[in-house]
Amino acid sequence: MPNEPSDRIQLLQGTLDMLILRTLLLGPAHGHQIAKHIQRTTDDLLQIEHGSLYPALHRLERKGWLAAKWEPAGKDLKREFKYYRLTAAGKKQLLAEESKWKKLTAAVARIMWPVEES
Amino acid sequence: MRWGIPKPRPKSREADLDRELRAHLELEAEQQSDSGLTPEEARYAARRAFGNVTLTKEEVRQMWGWTRWDIFIQDLRYALRSLRKSPGFAMAAFLTLALGIGASTAVFTIVDSVLLRPLAYRDSGRLVALWERPRMLGGEATGPNPRHVDIWQKRATAFSGLTFLRHMAISLTVSTEHPQMAPIVASPPNLFDVLQVQPLLGRTFIPEEGVPGHASVVILTYPFWQSLFHGDPGVIGKTIRTGNVSHEIVGVLPSDFHFPSGTTLRAFRRGGKALNGGLDPLLFMSAGLDVTQMEWNGNYGNWVALGRLKPGVAISQAAAQVNVIQNQIVQEMPASEGDHRPGSLLASVQPLQEAMVGDSRTELWLLMSAVLGLMLIACLNLANAQLGRGMARSREFAVRAALGAAKGWLVWNSVAENLLLAGCGGVAGVLLAGFSLDLFRRYSPVDLPRLSEVHLNLAVLAFSIALILAVSLLSGLLPALRLLSTDPQAALQQSTARALGSRHSNRLRRWLIGLQVAGCTALLLVTGLFSKSLLHLLRQDKGFETRKVIVAEARLAPGEYATDQSRISFNDAVLENLRAIPGVQIAAMVSAMPLDGESWIEPVQRIDRPRLETPLINFRWVSPGYFEATQQKLVAGRFFEERDRQMSNVILSEGEAKALWGSESPIGGQVKIEGRTFTVIGVVGDSRNTSLKTPPPRMAYVHYTDRPPYTSFFLIRAPTPVSTLAPGIRQAIWKYAPDATIARVQTLDSQLTDSLATERFQTSVLLSFGAAALLLAMLGIYGVLSYSVITRKQEIGVRMALGATRSSIYALTFGEAGTPVVVGLAAGLAASLLAGRLIQKLLYGVQAVDATVILTVTALFLISATAAAFLPARRAASVDPMTTLRAE
Repeated sequence: MPNEPSDRIQLLQGTLDMLILRTLLLGPAHGHQIAKHIQRTTDDLLQIEHGSLYPALHRLERKGWLAAKWEPAGKDLKREFKYYRLTAAGKKQLLAEESKWKKLTAAVARIMWPVEES
Repeated sequence: MRWGIPKPRPKSREADLDRELRAHLELEAEQQSDSGLTPEEARYAARRAFGNVTLTKEEVRQMWGWTRWDIFIQDLRYALRSLRKSPGFAMAAFLTLALGIGASTAVFTIVDSVLLRPLAYRDSGRLVALWERPRMLGGEATGPNPRHVDIWQKRATAFSGLTFLRHMAISLTVSTEHPQMAPIVASPPNLFDVLQVQPLLGRTFIPEEGVPGHASVVILTYPFWQSLFHGDPGVIGKTIRTGNVSHEIVGVLPSDFHFPSGTTLRAFRRGGKALNGGLDPLLFMSAGLDVTQMEWNGNYGNWVALGRLKPGVAISQAAAQVNVIQNQIVQEMPASEGDHRPGSLLASVQPLQEAMVGDSRTELWLLMSAVLGLMLIACLNLANAQLGRGMARSREFAVRAALGAAKGWLVWNSVAENLLLAGCGGVAGVLLAGFSLDLFRRYSPVDLPRLSEVHLNLAVLAFSIALILAVSLLSGLLPALRLLSTDPQAALQQSTARALGSRHSNRLRRWLIGLQVAGCTALLLVTGLFSKSLLHLLRQDKGFETRKVIVAEARLAPGEYATDQSRISFNDAVLENLRAIPGVQIAAMVSAMPLDGESWIEPVQRIDRPRLETPLINFRWVSPGYFEATQQKLVAGRFFEERDRQMSNVILSEGEAKALWGSESPIGGQVKIEGRTFTVIGVVGDSRNTSLKTPPPRMAYVHYTDRPPYTSFFLIRAPTPVSTLAPGIRQAIWKYAPDATIARVQTLDSQLTDSLATERFQTSVLLSFGAAALLLAMLGIYGVLSYSVITRKQEIGVRMALGATRSSIYALTFGEAGTPVVVGLAAGLAASLLAGRLIQKLLYGVQAVDATVILTVTALFLISATAAAFLPARRAASVDPMTTLRAE
């Protein structure tokens, strides 16, 4: 991809799943909405190729964390999108990933910004 | 990158994905155009934000999991398409593989059936053959005396069963037909208990049938039952006749029962075919024998002893036990009959399978390694051709890689191509193997044990599949790995010609050539040894002449010609009739077919100096004129004449005369044969008239009137071809005895060729393998050099512009092939020396290291390699420096 802004951050391996799950916690959404949501929320900081979302979505669906259904888009009844929705197992998974992520960031932070012993 | 869309299996899922992604792109494009872009730009921006659509689909499909199969199918279809574009290569590869896999499968089938598969008896690993090694016979292992076996049976505890048997040929009559000769096995009733075989119909023998004097009953084999009684289940209780004795049929054996022929399980184990040996026995006859009537120290080499070891008993234990009993027997023998020194009668025990397979083992493994070697060479060639193709297509691959194809896929593509080739070739090969095995079974030129058991089975199928996989991996993976190291950018930026010529890939191809040369040289050297051995067999001094001699075999029925006089009259009359045929120079008869192995063997002792150890001497009963017909040399004394009729005179071979009399003259000396005294009247030159493969045996010749045989072999020396003379010869026999069976009328020359059938078969197989290997190696060298010349065109042009001469360009090209060829030659030589030691037993008159063979093969190879390198070298030398430099 030419001319990408250099201050964009490459997504860490494995975090995409968590971001998708978290996004869907807000309610069912289709692929495009999820992508836009992630981009908007991070002020375009995270670089996600929209394409890379779909293998992840299908994988999560296969694992039973998401359920999918074709539904008409809110305003335009003629147009249908494939909406993804978080399942109960998906919610549990999100919690697990979240706590893992917290531990990871805390651990990284402790090395990067050590608190002086008093 | 996937070219083409895979055939979606669950169509809805594929369509669903398409729809989902299309919706995404459309929505994105709409939003982009809302921000002011033209529809065109918006679509582009949407795609850019999305990334590689195809790759995404591919990844999603992989998420689904079932696509693995689709990918596989698609790859095969892709491979098929790319192969169709180069039909020449595809055809050549297919044929190579079909022939290669076919040949290896066929050979492996034989190896598996003969060597690897256990015998088809219950618990066959415990079946053993037992042999005696009497010092009297020079300690050679030979079929034991039944009287001794009977004693083993009573005293040995190592066996759960012990029996003995004899292969015979008898004249059989079923109902009113003409009698026919049939190979049979005669044995005491417990044979089937030892083998643990249950009959299909009826019963096996019962103990009473082994009592001396009890009428002998017969059990039919399945094929015999099928062919003579058409599978009639009511056959039990019917009779068959031998002469005028009737035998009741008591049982029929199952169809999967096989019993070794007399050649496979030889009672007398020295070279040549056994008498009545060749065919598998058709029926089993109970023998009621009184072994106590047999000689104490004799009757060796007629019977075979079979035993079944008790569970947990090792062969060595059994052998030790039998040898203890042997020593007891030696002590118990009457003084007049035996040699009472301990160790004069040893015995050995051998697994039955080993006894049956014996000599065939080496030849089969040789055949197997030759065929696998050829297969390896073919694979290397295929790999080399693929490598060449790969290099020519490296630009295509570079383009595909640049467009986003994963390297793994490219590699898999190349493997899939080979898998497809190997699969098609494999199927064709297995069919070919089945077909050729069928032919082989029916018209086998070689005497193989267990031939009737040879057929394709699961083990063979597994072998073929393993072979196919190995082939596709070997010939597919090498070129594919080479692709992995291709840098697409470099390949794209360079001109085609240069992209081909990475040093690395040419080095790999040269090493492949080296390997091929090594395999090919080894194969050629072994072939050379066998050819030389065969030539030696054909050219060696036989001690007699086969040219212009016709041999006619006539059998007399024992019943009709029971008296010696009737058989003497028959021979006299037929000889007289034969001599009356115009053109016949000499007519004579002999009691055994020349070059058909040993027939009658007997010890010969000097009457004035009896010795305890007397080797068995080959006997021939001959008519006057025999030595003249075969042009055997007279060393001393005289040949037989009419006046020797009914006289106890004997003619010895030079070897036997020397063994008995040393440098003294044996003429007039007396020898003891079977207790009778004979006078030596002549000494003839040694001759190889039992077999060309053994040293000339020691022989004794006696006038035919002394023991007129039931089967006479008439030798007719005449300049006329056999086809013209044959009717007259048959007439000459039938005129006197219309009831005689004329088994064959053929030239002695054809008998000579027949007797070397195994060697000729081996040599011709090896020759064709060797020729194929040489051709493949030449193709390999040619291919590598051609590519290299194309690659280095610019370099050559520059060199020439700088003043290199045409001859130095020739040297440059030849030099490139030089190293691998020389290294390969050396490796091949080393390998063949190793192999030569293993096959020494199969060679006659040639040592494993033979300078002539090595020089010939090396010269042949160097000439072939030079020829293969010449065309590319000439192309290199004719490079026009100006053209190539301008093209720069």
